[in-house]
Amino acid sequence: MRWTTLSVVVLLLVTGCSGGESSVPGGTPSAIDQLVAKAPVAANVPEGSTMARIKERGELLIGGSLDAPLLSLQNPGTGELTGFDADLGKLLAKYLIGEPRTKLVTSTSETREPLLANGTVDVILQTYTITPQRAERVAFAGPYYESGQTVAVRRGTTGIAKPADLAGRKVVVGANTPAIAAVKAAAPTAELVEFGSDPECLTALRQGRGEAYVQDQALLIADASQDNELEIVGEPFTKDPYGIGIKHGDEQFKQFVNDWLREIQKSGLWQDVWRNSIGTVVSGPPPSPPAIGSAQGS
Amino acid sequence: MSHLPALVDGFLTTLALVALSFTGAFALGLVVVVLRVGPLRVLRFAGTAYVEAFQNVPLLVWLVLFVFGLPEVGVRFPLFATAVVVISLYEAAYVAEALRSGVNTVAHGQGEAARALGLTFGQSLRHVVVPQAARRVVQPLGNIGIALTMNTSLAAVAGVVELTASANRVNLVEALPIPLFVGAGLCYALLAAGIGGLAGVLERRLAT
Repeated sequence: MRWTTLSVVVLLLVTGCSGGESSVPGGTPSAIDQLVAKAPVAANVPEGSTMARIKERGELLIGGSLDAPLLSLQNPGTGELTGFDADLGKLLAKYLIGEPRTKLVTSTSETREPLLANGTVDVILQTYTITPQRAERVAFAGPYYESGQTVAVRRGTTGIAKPADLAGRKVVVGANTPAIAAVKAAAPTAELVEFGSDPECLTALRQGRGEAYVQDQALLIADASQDNELEIVGEPFTKDPYGIGIKHGDEQFKQFVNDWLREIQKSGLWQDVWRNSIGTVVSGPPPSPPAIGSAQGS
Repeated sequence: MSHLPALVDGFLTTLALVALSFTGAFALGLVVVVLRVGPLRVLRFAGTAYVEAFQNVPLLVWLVLFVFGLPEVGVRFPLFATAVVVISLYEAAYVAEALRSGVNTVAHGQGEAARALGLTFGQSLRHVVVPQAARRVVQPLGNIGIALTMNTSLAAVAGVVELTASANRVNLVEALPIPLFVGAGLCYALLAAGIGGLAGVLERRLAT
């Protein structure tokens, strides 16, 4: 049971890691180090702003995950975080501070809003889908990435060709993921079976707890690249715009982060980060980045 | 509030988990304690082994083993049933220990006297030991019931959408963690108070 071992190892390391530090000393510069080297630094940080406070502290506090493959995954050996969200965090830290110094505070769907509101973290970078309801309590910069829920089945499953085919069937979904609402909308009579993490969901699908598994497309592609029995059905059927969560009402900081996003999108750095993470399992060129402010609530 | 039905469903699932698991734990705990205080060495050993196994491994680990481990060897139960069985097995160890402490409060000589009068092991338990032990274990059992109630929140691991999981689900849409979890907490507190009150009533009725 690979994932049990993995989670134990991750748990053991969480306490002892510093997070965000650079890779093994003396090694060749990794892809992210090269990206950080050419990443921009803000020309002007207004005095008295949130940005000035972060710069003075010398560390960007990020709320995120340690266990999201391709997005924000901690290497249990080195303690380094890798993935799309993690790399963007380092680039944002460099833009703010001049150096990619970040500190990850593990956040979950039930702690994200309070962590921002009480100032424990500066930003949330955690596949945080922008919704109008959430935008009442959180400010969203971005969207910085657009993903979508996709259906996967065990190879050989018949009768599931589109989301509506999930009607009346048992469907495995991740607890606390947008898949729950997506499946309810696409096939209201589907019976949901929820598990906490992606590896658990995959195990449940393999063990026949459900006939299909609905999850973020990038994650499913990564899973399918490792598991020959997993078959992805069609294209994403939802649009999930991910935003960078910021304290509600901090328009100045939001504007600042949006400017940074526009800059790295234009310079091609965003695309490089994509190639370095999601692009390692998704074939083809990077998608065009979503337009800043295009999601309802951003 | 449009999410009320989901939360009520979660609460009812928690209630069902508590009622079924406690019944299971009590029945199984009775069996285990009879083994542990019985005259046969082999059975005493089996009872002790059971208690040690279930008390010394976290409930979460048991849940994961049963939910994901058993299907690997071809045994697949529905998720709700799995949660009830695992919580029952786990809490039975605590119930057995509470019952055993009750039995131990009855002086050894009483059991011996009962046997000397010609009562069988079963009879001496039924007529001499259990009536005295019963009122002393009501409060500890009430506490176990409360602990069991809190432990049902782990059933979310087994894919059971109980109170905590449903609060989480609603929060995902509404992004209102504090009111939602304070509300869920109050529901648990209410359940715990109910169990505590029940134990108090039972204790007074047995204290004759």
